[in-house]
Amino acid sequence: MDLSFELIAQLAWTGLASSSSYCLFAMAFALVLKVNRVWNFGQAGLMVVSYFGMYTAFRLLDLPPLAGAVFGAAITIAVAVALERWGFGTLRRRNSSVLTFFIFTIALAHGLVYTAELFFGTDPKTLFPSIISPVRLVGPIVVSDWDLTALATAAAMTTALWLFMRKTGEGKAMIAVSDDPDLAEMYGIDKNRAYAVAMMLSAVLLSAGMYLIGTKAAMFPATPMNQFLIFAVIATIMGGIGNVFAAGVAGVVLALMQSFSVLVIASTWQILLLYILIFVVIVIFPQGVVFKFRRGPSRQAGTLAPAVEETGEKQA
Amino acid sequence: MTEFFLTMAILAGLNVLLASGFNMILGYGGLVSVAQPVFYAIGAYTSALLSMKLGVPLPLAMLAGAALAAIASFGVSLPSLRVSGDYLVIASMGFQLGIVHVINNIELTGAASGLSGILSAVEGPGRSWIYAAIVWTICAVVILGIRWLVTGPYGRAITAMRNDEEAFASLGRDAMRIKVTLFAVGSGIAGLAGALYGHYFLFLTPDQFGIFSSATLLTMVVVGGAATVRGPVLGAILLTVLPEAIRFLQLPVSIMAPLQGVLFSALVILFIFLKPEGLFGGTAVGGLEAWQGRGTARSKAGGRV
Amino acid sequence: MLSARGLTKKFGGVVVAQDLDLDLELGRVVALIGPNGAGKTTLFNMLTGFVRPDGGTISFDGRRIENMPAHQRARVGIARTWQRPRLFESLTLLDNVMVSERDYLGESIGNLIFRHGEVERAEDDARDRALGFLDRVGLAARADSLSTRLSYGQQKLVGLARALMNDGRCILLDEPMAGVEGRTIETMKAVVRAEAEAGKAICIVEHNIGFIRDICDSAVFMFNGRIVASGSIDDLLADKRLGALYFGSHA
Ligand SMILES: Nc1ncnc2c1ncn2[C@@H]1O[C@H](COP(=O)(O)OP(=O)(O)OP(=O)(O)O)[C@@H](O)[C@H]1O
Ligand SMILES: [Mg+2]
Repeated sequence: MDLSFELIAQLAWTGLASSSSYCLFAMAFALVLKVNRVWNFGQAGLMVVSYFGMYTAFRLLDLPPLAGAVFGAAITIAVAVALERWGFGTLRRRNSSVLTFFIFTIALAHGLVYTAELFFGTDPKTLFPSIISPVRLVGPIVVSDWDLTALATAAAMTTALWLFMRKTGEGKAMIAVSDDPDLAEMYGIDKNRAYAVAMMLSAVLLSAGMYLIGTKAAMFPATPMNQFLIFAVIATIMGGIGNVFAAGVAGVVLALMQSFSVLVIASTWQILLLYILIFVVIVIFPQGVVFKFRRGPSRQAGTLAPAVEETGEKQA
Repeated sequence: MTEFFLTMAILAGLNVLLASGFNMILGYGGLVSVAQPVFYAIGAYTSALLSMKLGVPLPLAMLAGAALAAIASFGVSLPSLRVSGDYLVIASMGFQLGIVHVINNIELTGAASGLSGILSAVEGPGRSWIYAAIVWTICAVVILGIRWLVTGPYGRAITAMRNDEEAFASLGRDAMRIKVTLFAVGSGIAGLAGALYGHYFLFLTPDQFGIFSSATLLTMVVVGGAATVRGPVLGAILLTVLPEAIRFLQLPVSIMAPLQGVLFSALVILFIFLKPEGLFGGTAVGGLEAWQGRGTARSKAGGRV
Repeated sequence: MLSARGLTKKFGGVVVAQDLDLDLELGRVVALIGPNGAGKTTLFNMLTGFVRPDGGTISFDGRRIENMPAHQRARVGIARTWQRPRLFESLTLLDNVMVSERDYLGESIGNLIFRHGEVERAEDDARDRALGFLDRVGLAARADSLSTRLSYGQQKLVGLARALMNDGRCILLDEPMAGVEGRTIETMKAVVRAEAEAGKAICIVEHNIGFIRDICDSAVFMFNGRIVASGSIDDLLADKRLGALYFGSHA
């Protein structure tokens, strides 16, 4: 293969553009982990809800793009908030174990994937009948409209999330709850509201990502479960667990790595490397990972239990 | 129709093996791994490949599959000595997905299109009858073996370890060795189940061994009641048989397959919310919440004093 | 017998053990006294392998053991009790004591299969011995009840029976009298005294001065992670300065 500058530049650009949705999925996953303290594997189910919500809006109801996207996002938000309220909320009240959350979120994701297959079939689908995107040459690089939309969407979403978390009362409440829900509650913050807000934001991020996916290529109902979810989990771990924007950056890095896989190692083996990485990071450096958690006051067991007994122990 | 019932019986038996083995790890060992399906896969592929490519006799190949699964369990059991809780769940998931990913991508295992042409253990008209009998005989032996193990002196030690690992160690007991052993036993049983699966169904695909199958097995264990001998047995039978009931509706496959998936997921979620303590275990011993509050319970009660 | 030199430990910057030396000998009972939070339990935890010291050495019977895992230290002969009883709550009293045997053959599946007869005999023997220890702490009649049904003081007696079953030549007792009331007080005293007379090397953390006077040969006084005095019980109790440290920090 000719390792020309043009090729590298093209791969970088395409990788960057397609990283937009991975970045959004990673932030959505990391946000729920940070605030709600749930490894929400059910995210794959929410992605499916969002995708087929938009599919219904565009292909069956003939809504214009913006209205359709809003329609899809609204359904996803409703499902996400319900999931927090009746699902996670109930399990949290019961002080359920990590395994309960695991079983619940996985079963939920699968149930939603199968539901989509039941109603829409198992074949891959795009959001619009035609997904051809006009292209132009910028220097030697081919740039499509989709690339620009994707990057603009991801940038806008990230900025909006950042502003929301830093500048608004709701955002600050959310961060306070993520630090210590009980303490936050003593200061008059409604933690259930903060959990719901985090789920809403996560739903919006997901829907934006799914819109980008569905305007670029056709998707199987099972793809979110088999592919996007794992990427979001890996990015979240790489981002240091609990750091939303670092998870977003990790999502971009992962997508770029995939894009360059033609040059370095085949992407299937890259994914293997990532699994090894997760395993090694968690097993060899649990203290490092825990340290990030432990800066805040101690966490509740069940959702984010201390990894190392020793650090979890305090003399009475 | 008989064929269908026999296949169900075989599947249920294999799930009983898997769930009972998983229970050794989750219930008796108190280790929250999700990786049980990967040991199932290791047993299945090892036995199938040894017999196909090297002509190893089937019983020997099956035992080799079980043994390799038991050895592979160190990949999760050794980390479990360092990390627990969420981190163990995620690390075991990484282990499982990593190995399934390899199976999915190498030629030897038939990659994503699956491994076919596996030798059949039993031929002839009574094939399914004989195989069902073999599977259930093995089940009976394994269940009795587990019962023997968890009621005698070993069971006393396991219970003590789960109650208070430090007090246990302060009396000279080696918790690490017990955990690694339980992991190996549970995974070896899964490996054996995998081998049995392969030589009856004659076809393996990597996606049978993914995360959903982890959740399914977890549910079988906890629905019945973890850390009880009969819990996983009944849970496995129940969750194998119930989703098959809709087969009698005679729907087209394109509807049947997803509908079964939906029903199964719904069943699992219903159990989680309506029967968290498990069907047969008391709240004290088993059920979904057997692991709840681990770690905090002790620190609340006063730490290492 | 057991000797520690220069043990040091910090928890997140707070020094809880600073250059601690301790010597225990067969046939002698040493009291470890000091106000709450002095670091007495932490010292026990370092000796038995549950807290890794930042520095210092520990030897037992001429063998360096500071890098040995906790369960092996118990197996070479250091038995201990905990400040809380820490019984195995799903087991009966008898099982609690039986599982505490030093060489527990049933811990290995290999033994269960290949040395079946031996394990059976060991079980019978252990049952007899365990009942004997339960009898000594006055709880033989309740051998088959669960530990959660007992009073706190009775639970501590079972904790002691477990340590005795473990049969170490060195025994570390963390506040054996705390929470012990009524008739159990005398039982506890009698059992500990008998062990001392049997020639074990014993160290007792205790706030009960009467008990210390009664049973211990010498004492070590800890304060803020340091050993500030050691010597005979009477000398230490007479020391006004120590009294002030002890009671000053209680107030
Ligand atoms: N695991 C731990 N992490 C952090 N600090 C600890 C830990 N264990 C003990 N400490 C601290 O070390 C100090 C000494 O505790 P220690 O339990 O050894 O005291 P003690 O002399 O046994 O007191 P008491 O008479 O109350 O039992 C205390 O300030 C305690 O808070
Ligand atoms: Mg103490």
